[in-house]
Amino acid sequence: MSLLQTLYGIFSFLGHYPGYAISYLIETVLYLIVISLFLIFMIYLFRKFMARLQLRLGPNRVGKFGSLQLIADALKLVGKESILPKERDDLPYRVAPMIVMVGLFLAFTILPYGSLIGIGSLTVTNSAVTLVLVFAVISIMPIGEVLAGVSSHNKYALIGALRSIAKDISFEVPMMISILAIVMMASARVPDSLSISSIVSAQFLPYAVLQPLGIFVFFTAMVARASYTPFDMGESDSELVSGYSTEYTGMRFAMFYVGLFGSILLGSMLVSLLYLSGYNGPLSTDVGVIWLVIKAMILVLISFTVWLSMPRIRIDKFVNFGWKYLLPISFANLIISGILTLGLGW
Amino acid sequence: MTIGIKEVEEPRRRVPLVGVISGMATVGKHLFQKPVTLKYPEEKPDLPERFRFRIYLKLDDCVGCTLCEQVCPNGSIKMQNVHRENPRNKRMIYPDVNFGTCTVCRNCEEICPTDAIYLTHVFETSRTRNNFTYSPEELAMDEDKVKK
Amino acid sequence: MSELMQLNIGPQHPSTHGVLRLKVKVEGEIIREVEPVIGYLHRNAEKLCEMTYYCDNLVYFDRMDYVASMNMEAGYLEAAEKLLGIPPPERAIYIRTIMNELSRIASHLVWAGAFGLDLGMLTPFFYCFVQREKILRIFTEACGSRQETNYFSIGGVYQDLTPEIVDHVKAFITEFPRKLEEIYNLFAKNDVFIQRTKGIGYLSPEVAIQYGVTGPILRASGVPYDVRKAEPYLLYDRVNFDIPVSKKGDSLARFLVRFEEMRQSIRILGQIIDKIPEGPFFNPKAKKPLMIRLRGDGEVYARTESSKGEFGVYIVGDGGVKPYRVHVRSPAFKNLSILPVLAKDQMIADLISISGSIDLVFGEIDR
Repeated sequence: MSLLQTLYGIFSFLGHYPGYAISYLIETVLYLIVISLFLIFMIYLFRKFMARLQLRLGPNRVGKFGSLQLIADALKLVGKESILPKERDDLPYRVAPMIVMVGLFLAFTILPYGSLIGIGSLTVTNSAVTLVLVFAVISIMPIGEVLAGVSSHNKYALIGALRSIAKDISFEVPMMISILAIVMMASARVPDSLSISSIVSAQFLPYAVLQPLGIFVFFTAMVARASYTPFDMGESDSELVSGYSTEYTGMRFAMFYVGLFGSILLGSMLVSLLYLSGYNGPLSTDVGVIWLVIKAMILVLISFTVWLSMPRIRIDKFVNFGWKYLLPISFANLIISGILTLGLGW
Repeated sequence: MTIGIKEVEEPRRRVPLVGVISGMATVGKHLFQKPVTLKYPEEKPDLPERFRFRIYLKLDDCVGCTLCEQVCPNGSIKMQNVHRENPRNKRMIYPDVNFGTCTVCRNCEEICPTDAIYLTHVFETSRTRNNFTYSPEELAMDEDKVKK
Repeated sequence: MSELMQLNIGPQHPSTHGVLRLKVKVEGEIIREVEPVIGYLHRNAEKLCEMTYYCDNLVYFDRMDYVASMNMEAGYLEAAEKLLGIPPPERAIYIRTIMNELSRIASHLVWAGAFGLDLGMLTPFFYCFVQREKILRIFTEACGSRQETNYFSIGGVYQDLTPEIVDHVKAFITEFPRKLEEIYNLFAKNDVFIQRTKGIGYLSPEVAIQYGVTGPILRASGVPYDVRKAEPYLLYDRVNFDIPVSKKGDSLARFLVRFEEMRQSIRILGQIIDKIPEGPFFNPKAKKPLMIRLRGDGEVYARTESSKGEFGVYIVGDGGVKPYRVHVRSPAFKNLSILPVLAKDQMIADLISISGSIDLVFGEIDR
């Protein structure tokens, strides 16, 4: 019994197709709300965590321990005047932040979440190719960043967008090859090896143990995807003011900001699903989603620590790093996993 | 005397990622330390004894020598006529202070021959734009009694 | 030859220290030409000094290099006391040396934190500032102000050091080296940091001397020149310390030289903190009402080593109570002139790290 079927049970009087359509719609909207709230919590957590690492107090005025600070900030951003640059390219300028947000939230609806007691399975998309879908949707987001940089008629934004492209090209190939190793390993055990949920079920051992190189490449790629330090060349705030989002204010800027934290959460979820056996935990599988959230949050905290302790890498060095180190490492990982899968029969 | 010269050494080339991880550990360690900042209006900072801000004036001690007016580097201090019985201050002139330009250099306190003008711990002195200048009587008052 | 894009960095930009404006011509990411534009913080300090008494000018010198204000005061007093003929007593010299070295450490800590921010490291900035705050606490205990201290006076210091302050200095120099190593390791053990600084912004000793560069930047290029050794003032001929030198001349060398200088400053402090002699802390010739009656005649130039480099003060007196002319040879201004040379044909990201490694303080450059 899943959430979707529960909803369909309510709307089944509409007939088969309309009933399912409405249940999907309601479930998706529900997820959007939950994930938005979770992202707000994550930004609060980041600010508190950063403050404590830096021997500060962090937000402490609005609400108990400053817990309502983010709500106040969001209200401030919504209420802000939207200042548009005069020589912008209007349509791409307005569409760019939405592309980032849509890409992000679509990716969240595709992930499998395991199940929770009383509700059942929380997964929305039960497709056989969710892995392909997720990475297809993730690669929409850079388009938004590039559009933002090019359309806002600002030199800093333009350089930021160009750096973003160079960065995306250099990490996505190693990322996909490290994914390939996972698919290969999973295909020896389960039929639908392109579906994330079957990859999770195929992990008799977390793939992080079997493919330590793979998780390194993939985590690095996810850091680069979310573009925070050390790989935030696209927005590098000490060089390019704010990179591609320089000319954005108010709600549109907030979309980029939420997109950044959303990417961190998405990356952590993907790493925990693909490499840390996702929603499987030592206890009963009925609390799968809790395991997933715990694993993802640990990874999120690690990401924050990386963010706060590392200097920014230079763009040409990153391109070098991507092609000269990450790509061979991911190939080595592919070969090792091939040997493990075929030679040893794991 | 020989000139001691010390050649600085570049950090050793290490295994990649070890330094990154040790840096992350150092940063992470600070999570468990006490923050150094204060919630200011509720928790007052512990100020050292010599911390100085607000200028006070003892009207009875002031002899109207105008040294503080002369020494003030920004011309924040101007002498004003105040009709007040004080046998030591025959000219009946007392300093006022414009806090808009005062840099709290403490030269007026240093030079005052009778220690009439002095600086204190009081630093919570919010002003409106036209009220930066303290008249001699206001300088002698407590901060919360001064009309803002 | 492709077209060059002109990029304007600053004066409102997150990484320009203070109000530096750089007119940059870039070809893609590569910089072909840099032109620093200064003057946004010009406060006319030298001219103002001609309008106030000798003892008041310290206020303006405090505001030149506002992160190392004690260095500035010491530099001015070297000149002014020579001109006025009022030598400070022995105890005041000790106090000045202690404050000078503390100020140097504070300045280098600010630099290290800001350099980390330029490279995108958010956290070490705060650790540097926590340590700096301990030094500023000592300053506050000594004179009542954190930054613009106005502590040294002509012929001594305004207020005496109490035993508690000496104890606090001692506590600081025992616990600071450990914290310094922690900060140092955060930077120097990080591969990305090494990658961003090693070999970037190479400055050869010949070019450095041609441009009049002094201070840690000159020493990082391999020239062991330090005014504290070359022309000792205060106590520097009576203490043992080494001049940190590197032959590499890149950003990393400048970083290492500054950190070694902090260690040497701690060494100097350790040698003199226990030996402060008893006695008066100001010269009675400059006591209270006489402060503004001091008359100077003639001209004098004195140089000292501030945290940025050689800080020279030139004063002409015409026999009056106010100086006739005050001129400052500010080290950071001379050091800034090297930026177009260093940043040529580098990347935009390196421009930021080079301008960070020069240690620019705009109070001093624009004056």
